[in-house]
Amino acid sequence: MDIGGYNFPDELYYDPEHFWVRVEGDELVMGMDDFAQKLAGEIVYVQLPGEGKKLKKGKKLAKVESGKWLGKVLSPVDGELIAVNEDLELKPELINQDCYGAGWMYRLKADNLADLDDLLHGAAAVEPWVNEEIAKHAQEG
Amino acid sequence: MTNEHNLIEQFTEQIQHCTRCGFCQAHCPVFGATGRPALNARGKMLLLKEVLAGKIELNQDLVGSLFQCTTCASCATNCPSGVDVPAIIKAARKQMVGLGTCHPAFTGMNEVLAEHDNIYAEDEPEDFDRERGKQAEVVYFMGCVGQYREEEATEAALDLLDHLEVDYTLIDEVCCSGVLEDVGFSVKPHLASANIERILATGAGTLVTGCPYCYRTFTKQEAYAPLREAGIKIVHLSQFLAGRDLGVHSQAKVTYHDPCDLGRHCGIYEEPRQTIKAVAPNFVELTNHRQDALCCGAGGGVRGAYAKNSLAMARRRLAQVENSGAEVLLTECNSCAHNLANAKLRAQKFRVMTTPQFLMELIEES
Repeated sequence: MDIGGYNFPDELYYDPEHFWVRVEGDELVMGMDDFAQKLAGEIVYVQLPGEGKKLKKGKKLAKVESGKWLGKVLSPVDGELIAVNEDLELKPELINQDCYGAGWMYRLKADNLADLDDLLHGAAAVEPWVNEEIAKHAQEG
Repeated sequence: MTNEHNLIEQFTEQIQHCTRCGFCQAHCPVFGATGRPALNARGKMLLLKEVLAGKIELNQDLVGSLFQCTTCASCATNCPSGVDVPAIIKAARKQMVGLGTCHPAFTGMNEVLAEHDNIYAEDEPEDFDRERGKQAEVVYFMGCVGQYREEEATEAALDLLDHLEVDYTLIDEVCCSGVLEDVGFSVKPHLASANIERILATGAGTLVTGCPYCYRTFTKQEAYAPLREAGIKIVHLSQFLAGRDLGVHSQAKVTYHDPCDLGRHCGIYEEPRQTIKAVAPNFVELTNHRQDALCCGAGGGVRGAYAKNSLAMARRRLAQVENSGAEVLLTECNSCAHNLANAKLRAQKFRVMTTPQFLMELIEES
């Protein structure tokens, strides 16, 4: 769905820190959402931790940096990091070019998919949240 | 009389002295990463010759060249004509700012420091669970990168001071603002005053900086003269640690990256090596080291303004680490550590750490 000029695909789950999660079988793929990549500007660095890293829900998974911003990626679930998008090592700008496709960031294995219940999902939850974020950043900007 | 509109004229003789020999090109990190002659020191001097001759204007067209310099000083170190390129670049940038021309990243940096007390406009500093502003013999000054970007490195430095039972305190530090001098602006008097007041209030006789650039600023900038006049001994952490028996050893093959701000700009080459070699005798030098060290690409505001090229410069340095066969790359600058760690490829298996991180890891394992 388009919300205020930002693309938020319906089927995804969203973390309030602006990372998306897609369920693929019993694995999760995550990346940065359209609002965050536009706000951050050109992404220049994505930390790609080693596969096998143990993840705790709400704890730091990695760092992302643009020329003007440094953000922490928090794990949406308890579990394990099973793959990273190695293309981002030399082309972090893929996040700006295609944040829901070629710019995906991490593949995770969740201990319990019920952790996703704490994320935003579906138009009724996502739309008011994004509108609120747009208004908040318009004030700050 | 020199004013903000003719700052480069005071360097006319030096600019004319550039014989276009190209020695600088072999050492310039920006040229090394981009292959563009317009971006090396010789290219910049040629542009300024034309400015002085009235053939071109010091305007927006020159931002991409004159503002893309890490001020690493490798050109000046290797210039047979003795041209002090970093000083000339700094003057040209200040003149451009005076004329209303600047790279937006640096205009932004100046604006941020007018309103915030750190260069990242961060509102919530890490407290590192240490007391601030208490009476102590030593003040430890973390610097913006140490406080907001390389927190683990700062935590290790503080743990090391704790381990050595140093009587130190942190202060509610604000950005030293020295970097503004490199990017066309000036140290902010209100920030300098805040740091000076808070340092003096602790009664400390020694100021230890974790950041080489803060060290440069405190020891060389006029705005910080009151610290020096008060008799405060100002040292970088590497100097403070040199000669101390840390009681740990490592068999790892270790190498060291000389930060430009500590090495070429301040002449501190030996103290870091003294500490590292005492702990890790299996030490190797990188192909380019000491006065000849390759810049990591982060300085002079380049990391913020030209991030991709900055990382490309770091990758050239990391290729030397790979060739050295070292398992660990150490440095004494959080900014270098940040850029080098960001640029390191997953296939490169060596580790990038600050010396205090390396030391604390050994101490914790012992």
